Amino acid sequence: MRTATSLNLVVPQPADAAEEPSLALAPNPGATPHGVPLPVQQTEPPIRRVEAWLRSALPKLLMTTLSLGLFVAFWYFATKYKLDFYIRFTNIPSPGEVWDNAARLAQSEKFYNNMYVSLRRILLGFSVATVFGVALGLLIGQYRGAKALLFPLFETLRPIPAIAWVPMAIMLWPTNETSIVFITFLGSFFPILLNTIHGVNSVDPVLLRAARCLGTTEYGLLRQVVLPAALPQIFTGLAIGMGVAWVSLIAAEMISGQFGIGYFTWEAYSLIEYADIAIGMIVIGVLGLLCSGAIRIMGNMLMPWMAGPTHGGQK
Amino acid sequence: MTQVDDKPNATGHILVDHLRVCFGSKAAAVEAVSDVSMEVKPGEFISIIGPSGCGKSTLLNVVAGFVKPNEGTVTMDGKATDKPSADRGMVFQQYSLFPWLTVRKNVEFGLKQKGLVANHREEAARTLLGLAGLLAFENHYPDQLSGGMKQRVGIVRALATSPQVLLMDEPFGALDAQTRVVMQQILTNMWQRFRISVLFITHDIDESIFLSDRVYVMTARPGRIKAEIPISLPRPRTPDMASSPEYLRIKQQLRDLITEESLKAMGGELKDSGLAGFDVEVGPKGVAELI
Repeated sequence: MRTATSLNLVVPQPADAAEEPSLALAPNPGATPHGVPLPVQQTEPPIRRVEAWLRSALPKLLMTTLSLGLFVAFWYFATKYKLDFYIRFTNIPSPGEVWDNAARLAQSEKFYNNMYVSLRRILLGFSVATVFGVALGLLIGQYRGAKALLFPLFETLRPIPAIAWVPMAIMLWPTNETSIVFITFLGSFFPILLNTIHGVNSVDPVLLRAARCLGTTEYGLLRQVVLPAALPQIFTGLAIGMGVAWVSLIAAEMISGQFGIGYFTWEAYSLIEYADIAIGMIVIGVLGLLCSGAIRIMGNMLMPWMAGPTHGGQK
Repeated sequence: MTQVDDKPNATGHILVDHLRVCFGSKAAAVEAVSDVSMEVKPGEFISIIGPSGCGKSTLLNVVAGFVKPNEGTVTMDGKATDKPSADRGMVFQQYSLFPWLTVRKNVEFGLKQKGLVANHREEAARTLLGLAGLLAFENHYPDQLSGGMKQRVGIVRALATSPQVLLMDEPFGALDAQTRVVMQQILTNMWQRFRISVLFITHDIDESIFLSDRVYVMTARPGRIKAEIPISLPRPRTPDMASSPEYLRIKQQLRDLITEESLKAMGGELKDSGLAGFDVEVGPKGVAELI
C-alpha cells in the first residue's frame, strides 16, 4: 500500500490538466496554439489483439510460405531429375541431403567455431571501421582543413575494392587473422565514412546557429549537435557498411583463410562435400541478417526521436 | 525588496552605430545594410519592420554576432557583439529545436553549456516550462508538437540562459493567424516577467504595434532607417485596442511608410509597366497575350 502511494507521487501530472498555458491570455479559447492529441491507451483485451494481428498478418504469412515453398519445390525436383538445361543440377545437393548434413553439423563443434571466428572478425573489423569512419567523417564534414587534407587520399583509395587488397594485406600485416580483419575493416570503412560526411553536411544550419547562441563550444557543437543530427545518416552508413563487411570477409576467408564460415564453404567445395556448400551459404545469409538486425535495433535505441508513435504523423 | 523588482534592468543596452554591411567580393559587393544607427534601451521592446530583403535579418545577425560589419559598430552594454553568445538569446523563424532532444532537454541545452549540474538544469527547465504552460510536454520530442508549441519552447530555450536581450527573427512568421495572436500575448507576458530587452524583426504591422515600445521602419535595399515610430499605447495591450483611434493612426502611418518601400523594393519594372500598365489593351486571350 505504502509503495503504491509513493509511486503515485512520482507519476507525472495528467497531460490534460496542463493543456491550458498558464501565461496565455487566450482571447478565444479555440485558438490555443497546440492541437496535439495525446496517445490514447489501448484497452482491448490481449486475445482480441492477437486475433486482429493474425487476421491482418495471415495473408502475408501465406504468401511468404508459398514463395519460399515454390523455391524449395523447384530445388527438390531439379535435383531429383538432375535437370541439365544450360544450368546443371547434376552435382547440386538436394534439399534432403542439405537437411541431413545440417543436422550432422549442428552437433559439430568445429562448425560452431567457424561461425564464431567469422563473427569475431566482423565485430572487430566493423567496430574499428565505425570508430574511424564516424570520427573522421565528423572532422571532414565539419572542418574545411580536415577535408582538404584527408578527402583526396580517401577518394583515391575508395574505388579499390576491399578484396583487391588481399595480397597486399597478407604482406602488410603480421598474421593472416589481422589481414582478414583489415579487409573487413576496409569494406565497411568507406560507406560509414561517406555517409557520416553526408550526414554532417546536411545538418540544418539553423541548429548550428541556435547552438552557438546558446553558448556552445566548438567541441560541444560537434559532440552535442553535429553528431546527433547526423546519426540517422550514420546508421544508414553502418547498415551498408555491415553488408559490405560480410562480402569482404567471405571473399577474404575463401582466398586466404583458415577457419571462418567463408573458408568452410570453400573447403566444402574442395572436399566434394557439396551439401555443406549450401549450408555455408545459408549460414552466411542468416548471420548477415542477424548483424543487420542488430544494427537496426541499436539505431532504434539510440534514436528514440525517430521511432516515436506519432513521428511523422502529426507535423 | 520591491525596489529591486521595480528598478528597470540596467543591462541589455544595444547600440548600433553607423552600421554598414556588404555581401560578396569587392567588385560584385551588394550593400545589404547602409548607415544604420539605432538603439535598444535596457528592458525595451523594439521592432524592426520593412519590406522583404531590406536587410533587417542581416542587422539582427550582426547583433547576434553571426555577421561582421564592414563599417560601424554594434555593441551591447559597451562590448562589441563580434561572436554569438548566450547573453543574446535568439529565436528563429524556422523551427530550430534539436529534434533528438526532448522538450526539457532542449531547454536545458544552454544551461548544460554553462556547466550547470543535471538536477539544477532540470529544475530550471521545469520552472520555465511551467511558466509557458508546457510542463506536460517536457518529455515529448519536438516532432510531436504543433508549430506554436515549438516556437514557445524555442522562446523558453532562449530565455533559459538568462540572456540580457532576446533577438527574434520573424519568430511567428510560419504560424497561422490565430496562433500568432496567442503567441504575441505569451511573448508580452514573458517579456514583462523577465524584464529583458527584445529586438524583434517582423513584416507584420499589427504585430509590431501590438508588441513594441518603438518601431524602426527600414527602407528597401540597401536597408536604412527610414523612420522611428514610438508606440504610446498603454500596457497591458489587448486585442480590442486594434480599433482605438491611436492604434489606427499608427497603423496608417506605418502602412504608408512600408508601402512606399515595398514598391521601391520591387524595382523599376513594376513602377513603369506594372502600375502604369492598367491602360494596356488586353485581348480575348487575356494576360497571356502580353507575355
